[in-house]
Amino acid sequence: MMKRRIISIAALLFLALYPVTFGGSSPYHSAIMIVLGIYVILAISLDLLVGFAGQISLGHAAFYAIGAYASGILTVTYNMSPVGAMLVGLSLSGVIAAFIGWSVLKLRGYYLAMATMGLAAITHTLIIGMQSLTGGASGLRDVPPFRIFGISMDSYVHYYYFVWAMVVLVIVCCLAIIRSPMGRTLMAIHSDEAAASTLGINCAFQKTSTFVASSMFASLAGSLYAHYMGFLAPDDFSIFTSVHILVMVFLGGVGTIYGAAFGAMFLKLLPELTHTFQDYELLGNGLILIVVLVFMPKGLWGVITAVGRKLKLTGDAISEGNSE
Amino acid sequence: MTTNGNDILRLKNVTKTFSGVAAVNDVSFNVNKGIIKALIGPNGAGKTTLLNMISGLLEPDSGYIYFEADTISHSPPHEIARCGIGRTFQLLRLFTANNATVLDNVMLGANNKLKPNILKSLFLRAQTNKAEKSTREAAFEILKLVGLENAAYLSPLTLSFGSQRMVELARALMSQPKLLLLDEPASGLNDAEVDEFMETLLTIKEKGVTILLIEHNMKVVMNLADDITVIDFGEKIAEGNPHKIANDPEVIRAYLGDDHIGERD
Amino acid sequence: MDISQIIQFTFSGLTLGSIYALMAVSLSIVYKVSRVISFAQGEFFVFGALTMITLTGIGVWAPLAFALSVLMAALLGSIIEQALIRPVLKTTLGTVITMTIAISLALRGLALLLWGRGSHTSATFSSGEPIRILDAALQIQVLWIVGVTGAALLLIWLFFEKTMLGIAIRASADNPVGASLVGISIRKVNLLAWSWGSGLGAVAGMVVAPLYFLQYGSGVLPMVNGFIAIAISGLKSIPAAVVAGFFLGFVEAYSIGFVSSQFSEVIVFTVLIVVLQIRSKAASGAGFDEKGM
Repeated sequence: MMKRRIISIAALLFLALYPVTFGGSSPYHSAIMIVLGIYVILAISLDLLVGFAGQISLGHAAFYAIGAYASGILTVTYNMSPVGAMLVGLSLSGVIAAFIGWSVLKLRGYYLAMATMGLAAITHTLIIGMQSLTGGASGLRDVPPFRIFGISMDSYVHYYYFVWAMVVLVIVCCLAIIRSPMGRTLMAIHSDEAAASTLGINCAFQKTSTFVASSMFASLAGSLYAHYMGFLAPDDFSIFTSVHILVMVFLGGVGTIYGAAFGAMFLKLLPELTHTFQDYELLGNGLILIVVLVFMPKGLWGVITAVGRKLKLTGDAISEGNSE
Repeated sequence: MTTNGNDILRLKNVTKTFSGVAAVNDVSFNVNKGIIKALIGPNGAGKTTLLNMISGLLEPDSGYIYFEADTISHSPPHEIARCGIGRTFQLLRLFTANNATVLDNVMLGANNKLKPNILKSLFLRAQTNKAEKSTREAAFEILKLVGLENAAYLSPLTLSFGSQRMVELARALMSQPKLLLLDEPASGLNDAEVDEFMETLLTIKEKGVTILLIEHNMKVVMNLADDITVIDFGEKIAEGNPHKIANDPEVIRAYLGDDHIGERD
Repeated sequence: MDISQIIQFTFSGLTLGSIYALMAVSLSIVYKVSRVISFAQGEFFVFGALTMITLTGIGVWAPLAFALSVLMAALLGSIIEQALIRPVLKTTLGTVITMTIAISLALRGLALLLWGRGSHTSATFSSGEPIRILDAALQIQVLWIVGVTGAALLLIWLFFEKTMLGIAIRASADNPVGASLVGISIRKVNLLAWSWGSGLGAVAGMVVAPLYFLQYGSGVLPMVNGFIAIAISGLKSIPAAVVAGFFLGFVEAYSIGFVSSQFSEVIVFTVLIVVLQIRSKAASGAGFDEKGM
């Protein structure tokens, strides 16, 4: 436990000092970290639903879109404050997730995957279709930078701190859920809903509430993205986006919060670090994922923690348990 | 609806049909509070279907099921569990996702009293942490009762079949049920394990829990059951204490003329 | 409402319906045998079409190119089943779905490298002016599409009903244990199912290529519509999948025609969600089971 505390503190220190040390040379590095942070939130929130509650969802992009466009539209067209717009996005996502989740989560397996895919597709189409509101295919422009307590975050460095503060918040929330009786409840639902219900677990309610939480985090990521990009295009919120996030989760290690975060960072950094041509990215992603799925059932993070255990960095297997 | 004050469970004319075939046909019986009642009968006679309907996983097509003062015929399983009915399964249904341990399985039994949810986990941290601690302690107590306290942090899949059975029993006990439904709890156990199991059941009965069990092992049934209901082809064909049942011609016929009841399995 | 318009939409419905029927059948065969719905099925649509275009481009005789492309797709499908699907079959459903997604990414990425981002189209199977019915134009290729679809479906029907191998496959789909007890090799059966499935996907792509511009990502939408069709048909029978595919094709054609192409997507997906809701209500009465199918 002590060792894990040290690692957490080290990570937080790294994050706090990043812009003035490694990233200090150019705002470009802060920008990369902002994008990473947004995808970490997306991956972790999806993992809560897929890895812990065991519900396959290809609809995450829908709520990412709702958050993004709520923030975009309300700040651009209605001059609302970014914080207000973000809260509206969160509420909207929560309510929609509650309603749609309640009926969609009655489905299992492939049918659930298809229905959630339909969700993402419908949202994508509606964004393009409701042109007067969303700017349609040409996109929504001139989204102002985020502003909170009167401070406008027009520099990447400032926004970087805000985004990663949000990332830490999301991680803390998800860990709080997972390391509590609720986390165990999700595991039960994941394993066997019928048996779980005979223990007094209201599976429909718990699945829906997890779906709501997960969707609201995605909405948060969307709002953060809107103020970072300044511009929203519908194609950034399609089924392919949902798939991309799912790939991150499985690459990193489904069912572990840090694994999902790692997967997000890995997949986003890989093209940066290897300077691959964009055209190879798709094939590369597919092949890496295939390799991970066949040879590393616990994902890349699973491999890293296994190595860490060998080097006695993260404690022994038994106390590791499922308190990831 | 009249209730005999002594009955904890009453089934009245319960029928369940699958694709035109009646798996359970107009079955009625009562379970007195505090006893051990056995449901016996040949395989496929409909006993598990009855248990599934009592625990809410299936709904009867007609008839009624009463638990204490409530009508639970069409209640959802989680509500029935919260009323105080716990169960085990014929084909084990332990939780194994996300590196679940034996302890995790047992601690989940506390859910019907704790009622955890996301909001509590996020905003009532102190309270949930305290609950976790006391749940863990109580879970260890129950694991000691079934002799598995050393296996607490292992995955259930590493245990023997008999031990896995005990984990499921511990999990059901954790929910502090008033009525415990057991589906063939002794099947797959060797003789020594069966004896241990019978002792455990008696201890549970002493704590005031009513037990309704489906069982093929006649040693268990004849020695432990206070009352027996015999089901064949979805219908009740006999009811009474072990001595009466052992000599009932209908029962003997149902087991195909064996003069040792139950040996056909 | 113009009668010619309705006729025109009907032709378009026939085209779309044929593609979706083929995709739905291809998905159904794979599912019935291996219990996997492959999210990679759309890529065979593209590979088939683009391979045939390349082959005819270098002068290969069209029917031969057609046959070779089908074979190539079938081979690809069987390799994928053996090397990639089998290892993950025993893991969780999420892993299986993600594996087929990974395969689709890899195949799409490969298609991108092989054929670039540009669109390609192919020559029609035969030349000739469109047939005029009132003011509507029926492209000759549409006749080819319906014809080839019909022939492919007939072949499948014959195979599964009349050949020993086909009957064996159906048997193992219904009862894997029993089938293996009588000596049917489940491995071979799975392999065949995947080959059939990918071959059919390729046929769908090739037959419709002359009418559209296809690029590396064009397989996704037909596959998604295939999903919708099998959700409607319930994955139980092949004929139902065919009917559902055509039904969907007509729904889409009329939606595009009478509403708009944007909202036709919304309509189609709403149909999906509604159908799934109805299914889940029907399923929950019969008892509890985990797979949800």
